Amino acid sequence: MTNHWVDLKNADYILIIGSNAAENHPASMTWIHKAMNERGAKLIVVDPRFNRTASQADIFAQIRPGTDIAFFGGMIKYILDNELYHKDYVVHYTNASFLIHPDYKGPDELDGLFSGYDPEKRRYDRSTWTYQTDADGKPLRDETLQHPQCVFQIMKRHYARYDLDTVSSVTGIPKDLLEKIYKTYAESGQAGKAGTILYAMGQTQHTVGSQNVRALAIVQLLLGNVGIPGGGVNALRGESNVQGSTDMAVLAHILPGYLPIPTTADVDLKTYIERKTKPGGPWSGGYWTNGPKFLISLLKAWWGDHATQHNDFAYDYLPKPDSPINHSWIPLFEAMYAGKIKGLWIMGMNPAVCGANARFEREALKKLEWMVVQEIFDTETTSFWRAPGEDPSKIQTEVFVLPAADAMEKAGSVVTSGRTIQWRPKVAEPPGEAKPDYQIINLIALKLKELYAADPGPFPDPILHLNWDYGQELDIEKVAREINGYAVKDVKDAEGNILAKAGSILTTFGHLRDDGSTACGAWIYTGYFAPAPDGFGNMLPAAKRRNSVYDPGGLGIYPYWGFSWPANRRILYNRCSADPNGKPWSKDKALIWWDETQKKWVGYDVPDFPATKAPTDPGGRDPFIMRTDGKGGLFAAMNEGPLPEHYEPVESPVKNVFSSQQINPVIKIWRTDEGKDIGDNYGSPDKFPIVATTYRLGEHWQAGGMSRWSDWLVEAQPEMFVEMSQELAAEKGIKNGDKVKIKSARGEIEAIAIVTARIKPLKVNGKTIHVVGLPWHWGWKGLTYDMGVKDMVQGTANFLSPHVGDANTMIPEYKAFLVDVEKA
Amino acid sequence: MIVQIKGKPEFIQIQWVPRYTTMERVVHWFHTATFTLLAITGMMLFFPFLQPLAQGQAGITFRLIHRVAAVIFGLVPIIYLIIQPRRFLMHIKEFLPKKEDIGWLKAVPAYYLMGKHEAMPPQGRFNAGEKLNGLITIIAWLVFGITGLPMWFGKGVIPPELFRWLVIFHDLAMIVSVSMFLVHFYLAVAHPLMWGALVNMRFGVTSVEYLAEHHTKWFYGPKRAMEIWEAKKRESVH
Amino acid sequence: MARLAMLIDTSQCVACRGCQVACKQWNDRQGWLYSRTRNRGSYENPPDLSPHTWTRIKFTEYEGPDGFRWLFLKEGCMHCGDPACVAVCPTGALKQHPRGLVTYERELCNGCGYCAQFCPFHIPRLEVVNPLTGEAKSSKCTFCQDRVTNGLLPACVKTCPARALDFGDRDEMIAKGQARVEALKARGYTQANLYGVDQVGGLGRLYVLIAPPEAYGLPAKPEYPALVSVWQKVVQPLGGAAIGATILGILGAFFLARRNIRMEEVK
Repeated sequence: MTNHWVDLKNADYILIIGSNAAENHPASMTWIHKAMNERGAKLIVVDPRFNRTASQADIFAQIRPGTDIAFFGGMIKYILDNELYHKDYVVHYTNASFLIHPDYKGPDELDGLFSGYDPEKRRYDRSTWTYQTDADGKPLRDETLQHPQCVFQIMKRHYARYDLDTVSSVTGIPKDLLEKIYKTYAESGQAGKAGTILYAMGQTQHTVGSQNVRALAIVQLLLGNVGIPGGGVNALRGESNVQGSTDMAVLAHILPGYLPIPTTADVDLKTYIERKTKPGGPWSGGYWTNGPKFLISLLKAWWGDHATQHNDFAYDYLPKPDSPINHSWIPLFEAMYAGKIKGLWIMGMNPAVCGANARFEREALKKLEWMVVQEIFDTETTSFWRAPGEDPSKIQTEVFVLPAADAMEKAGSVVTSGRTIQWRPKVAEPPGEAKPDYQIINLIALKLKELYAADPGPFPDPILHLNWDYGQELDIEKVAREINGYAVKDVKDAEGNILAKAGSILTTFGHLRDDGSTACGAWIYTGYFAPAPDGFGNMLPAAKRRNSVYDPGGLGIYPYWGFSWPANRRILYNRCSADPNGKPWSKDKALIWWDETQKKWVGYDVPDFPATKAPTDPGGRDPFIMRTDGKGGLFAAMNEGPLPEHYEPVESPVKNVFSSQQINPVIKIWRTDEGKDIGDNYGSPDKFPIVATTYRLGEHWQAGGMSRWSDWLVEAQPEMFVEMSQELAAEKGIKNGDKVKIKSARGEIEAIAIVTARIKPLKVNGKTIHVVGLPWHWGWKGLTYDMGVKDMVQGTANFLSPHVGDANTMIPEYKAFLVDVEKA
Repeated sequence: MIVQIKGKPEFIQIQWVPRYTTMERVVHWFHTATFTLLAITGMMLFFPFLQPLAQGQAGITFRLIHRVAAVIFGLVPIIYLIIQPRRFLMHIKEFLPKKEDIGWLKAVPAYYLMGKHEAMPPQGRFNAGEKLNGLITIIAWLVFGITGLPMWFGKGVIPPELFRWLVIFHDLAMIVSVSMFLVHFYLAVAHPLMWGALVNMRFGVTSVEYLAEHHTKWFYGPKRAMEIWEAKKRESVH
Repeated sequence: MARLAMLIDTSQCVACRGCQVACKQWNDRQGWLYSRTRNRGSYENPPDLSPHTWTRIKFTEYEGPDGFRWLFLKEGCMHCGDPACVAVCPTGALKQHPRGLVTYERELCNGCGYCAQFCPFHIPRLEVVNPLTGEAKSSKCTFCQDRVTNGLLPACVKTCPARALDFGDRDEMIAKGQARVEALKARGYTQANLYGVDQVGGLGRLYVLIAPPEAYGLPAKPEYPALVSVWQKVVQPLGGAAIGATILGILGAFFLARRNIRMEEVK
């Protein structure tokens, strides 16, 4: 989230789209209700079905899964046509005024494509997407927003096709309801009003997921909602501490703190830094120019005394994936299926239930030579080899199950969607031999070091020299300190004054250096574990603070509660809350402002801006400090284009009316074993005419590995079900409570039919389209199965979803695919 | 049989006549035992001053006794019906009220309070009071059964609104039958005139004198009994 | 001391079932192991209150004058101001606490089931140990009497993440509920109403509803069952009087008869 949870209470308009906040983040309702009850905020919910979040809405609209760009495109057109955008904000804080390359052409001219497309490689050459620059390389601008090649005018042309009739036809939302939503939400464009958009997997789990988020970010920038209290682009993260896991880079393409991972193309440290800092590179401008300090401090943390000036700080010890990198989930399982992966180490994950095309993924597991699973309970993955219908004697995978401690049984930090890091103590003993995941990793690391010391082989240095001094029984606070960062040698400023003494814990990433004098496991977290005042007179590691009393400005910032990365900032881009001269746009939403006497930025939050840079200084009006041009990117390049364009999901019941590009032109389509019973199969509307979407419920958790062992939760939601409209049920002769079969091109499952008024058939492009909803929590293993009750309906929804993902993140398209339904 | 009354020197000769069959007596005593248990355990749920007895494990035990007794209470007449169906039906017919029973009712204060023998018209094997007792017993048995069985097995099956009525009627039947029982007990055990009744119910036989006196219609037959009564009445006037 | 009450704002409830689970956790109740629930075509589970489910959420899809609404109702003992269950309980296990909670002393219960049959809302549930012997215990929401009497909130109220539940002084809860009804009406919920203010002696469980009570399955005009009054106030005293009178009558008759009848006269 660019804002944070408590901040929701400051919103005047709340748009929840692609998120079921009430069920999946129940605590968020506290703040949403506060906004609605205390400041009369309007709640708009847009979702493929009327779920429990929708029960709270002032306005609800049912949307066809996979048409969010059409929805937002229509909103952008509405905002531009009716001049509802925040003009000064758009002119000064976004790249709306920037001029784009004269050869740039968009989908309005190129039938759904952007200039630079290579249809064979399914890739774009982005050279026509760059800014026009002057002799010094500074981008050219037209602050009147009239120049035909300025971003603003390009956007107008691009979204001219997204008129109300077309958008209504594509999304299935009636025209008057659409207009009502646009009109209501666009009221947040006025100074003094804030609109927040809350989204989750309903936006991201599509082949156009990244562009979905881009679209809503554009809306927020146009309305001046980014960087103000009650506004923001707010992803409600899908799991507890998944924010922490992405911060700590449990991902294939980054290092902790979102540093790009060096690839085989980055042959040495010098090359890596050059490629990142060159013009156009990710570290070429803005605060990211400090990138080298973060990387080198990271290497120093990992290899300690063995990372020095003389060996490029152990840069060569880092394993490097090939470029372009694609070791994300789908390619991983495709490689496994092809027998290319010998061993898999799983920590608290259940691919047998959560993996797209789950039958394919279960087959992939069988090809492994060995598998280690760290788990709390026995799941469909730990027991994949003895699932009903499997013959264990035919499966060669050696499975090691390591019992793990759960969240209450170990100390450590958890990061919320709002970037707030909270330290949690251990409050219970793990049962039997169960150990915290970090202790398991610790024991394996120590053993590996032993083995490599005994039998070095060709290159043992990365293991042997790994800095691993956490103890036989891992001391988590030692790890925390390393992640936070500490001074290896005295850290000095330009005049030679000592900012941090050698050995001391660092309080800010501003003290990180690229000369090996600092070590830091994740630069964004610096300060989280350093002693900080808690407002009650104590000094504790910042993440341990729990002051719920001190709230300057009453905005819910609570600066002494935990630590919000970066630097305890609660609202990112908060320079935007003040006008170009440093005065808040309105008293109601004042957050930080320029104090002329003290010559610095003051206010209720830590300024997300150089503290002493005046509004009139160069760069004084560039709030987006991480971007090279310092402006909010309305026009911003990603793999499929610089502006979101509607494409249909890979499996869609209708043709794309915006262009002849049916699907995202740059996604990778996997076709392994296409045509076979188990394989990458895709269905067409004549065989699978119904649109399906998947989602979660309040009562169960993810793949059910934890919640389907809980007596109370299983009672509340005992069986797999499918939600369908009364009209579809009548067509198929299905009564409420009947057992039904659902099939896609990839598999078939059973579910109990919930026939409901909360889903209605949609009118799309003149046709009637039916939508069904599938929760994906179920699998065969759990409390009921182990008690011998084998006839409960426990179908795995992901048997049906496709093994194809977003062009930028590869996240699978769980949210929109085709099925058919019939009585069982 | 020759008996001597305690404290008196005379010997009296008693001639015994059978009046109650074995079955009648067995049924009566089973009924007495179960009724008493049922009444006592039932009243614990009815009278607030008996609350401590109804509580906790004691209460659960007493409710169990109530049910066990109820089963026997319910079965005994049914067993009678199965084993001796003709006698059972004859027996039932004996309890049915007739017009002349009003005469008994009118004579109650004079006979039972004042001891005026001549006030009482001739009675059959069962005098009208005994018939009343029997009738009430039978009706109560039916009401207890019809209300009690659903109260036991029908929770959740019958609507609560009906259950509430069943409780009321179960209680009303209890009030009437317990009151009747108390009167019956007094008359059978304590009333001076009714000395033969208890002997009768225990052994099945009554003395000739007793029968001649109290169940004239049965002993002599209706015509002769009437003549004897008319004679008695004429005697007392003088 | 002032009467306590729970205010349940169904307009803020998102049916997360946190209350349902928190109650089971605090009171050591079971879930599926006891009820063996199946999906019957609804999110609603378990399908009824039971000895192991003292509160649950009822789901109703409702088409009203303001459009479609998904109604959620947190069911449980109403803690009536005039509790029929307390009146009919023969053991005194059910009591009315001075602060209005209808509390329950499990050790005293003998499982007769009268409470379940006489409650106008059909709330108490019997946990039957043996249907033949009738050994059973009654059970229902106690407003967490152990927590509340120690200064804590009931478990459900503490847990609710949507802040739909509140608990405290009854007059304050009524005022809060009425204010909420007004705010809802202003927002377009034309059928908003506050349930429980006056019925059955005033309920301890107050509901802010967004549809008429019948839409939720609540009795529109619940009443203290007339038969309870008949039973407790008429039949019981009558019974006592009748039997007492009979005994007295018999005693009187005995002495009278003794005076008038000499054993010597008896043949």
